[in-house]
Amino acid sequence: MTRQDFLARLREGLRGLPAQTIDDIVADYEAHFVEGEAAGRSEADVAQALGDPDRLARELRAEAGLRLWEEQKNPSAAVGAVFAVIGLGALDLLIVLPVLIGVAGALFGIAMAVVAVFVAGGAVFVGGPFFDPPGGVATAIFAGLGLIAGSISAGAVLTLITIGLVNALVWYGRLHFRLLKPAL
Amino acid sequence: MTETIQVQLKKGVLELCVLALLSRGDGYAYDIASRLSQAIDMGEGTIYPLMRRMQADKLVETYLVESPAGPPRKYYRLTDAGRASFETQKAAWTRFSGAVATILGEGQ
Repeated sequence: MTRQDFLARLREGLRGLPAQTIDDIVADYEAHFVEGEAAGRSEADVAQALGDPDRLARELRAEAGLRLWEEQKNPSAAVGAVFAVIGLGALDLLIVLPVLIGVAGALFGIAMAVVAVFVAGGAVFVGGPFFDPPGGVATAIFAGLGLIAGSISAGAVLTLITIGLVNALVWYGRLHFRLLKPAL
Repeated sequence: MTETIQVQLKKGVLELCVLALLSRGDGYAYDIASRLSQAIDMGEGTIYPLMRRMQADKLVETYLVESPAGPPRKYYRLTDAGRASFETQKAAWTRFSGAVATILGEGQ
């Protein structure tokens, strides 16, 4: 493979990352070719020693997604991290995928239920006292407050579980890196 | 399987090796990569992601130096945090490898 081929495939594979990052990464490898040539090596030899540019780009892109999640734990970074791991395209990840979709669906369902309980709690708290509830006005108010508090704590636990699951997935994804740093 | 273990082993100590080389003097990536690839048979391309990560973790910092080979070379130097990390990792490695060597020796 020539230097042009290697750099072009690397650049192509990195598409989606910030332009500045791509330029920095490609410049590093370009400098490597220049140094190699100065040391009397052929372009093919240097390219061979650097490894597969497609695989390199895949892992670099995945790592960028995983790092973003580690720096800012927000929903969009979580989605990015999940897609980064899937983007590695490892075969056993495809087997894990249906499980992953199931888990994500269940989490989403529970989250919706939590929101529904929160809204229902609000309705009981505000509207309950006007409908002559069994046990009196205070019962309706406290029942409403209880539902709201319960749904908030359930939501908090759900958030923690989701963060833990994404972290586990990130760790699992890093196990598949062959050219980058290991997970452990 | 043996190959997998070797790859993971090498990757685990790669950062320590880079820190060790830089602790003896500043260097540029090509030089570090070729020295490591000769010594422990690592793919040369592995060095760049590692250097980027170490830079992001503020273990190393870079500066440019004119080069006879062409464009200016990017030199890496250890930061104080990098030096501290080197000492910690070196101590941990020495302890660990000593323990493993003892156990392997007992088996024979």
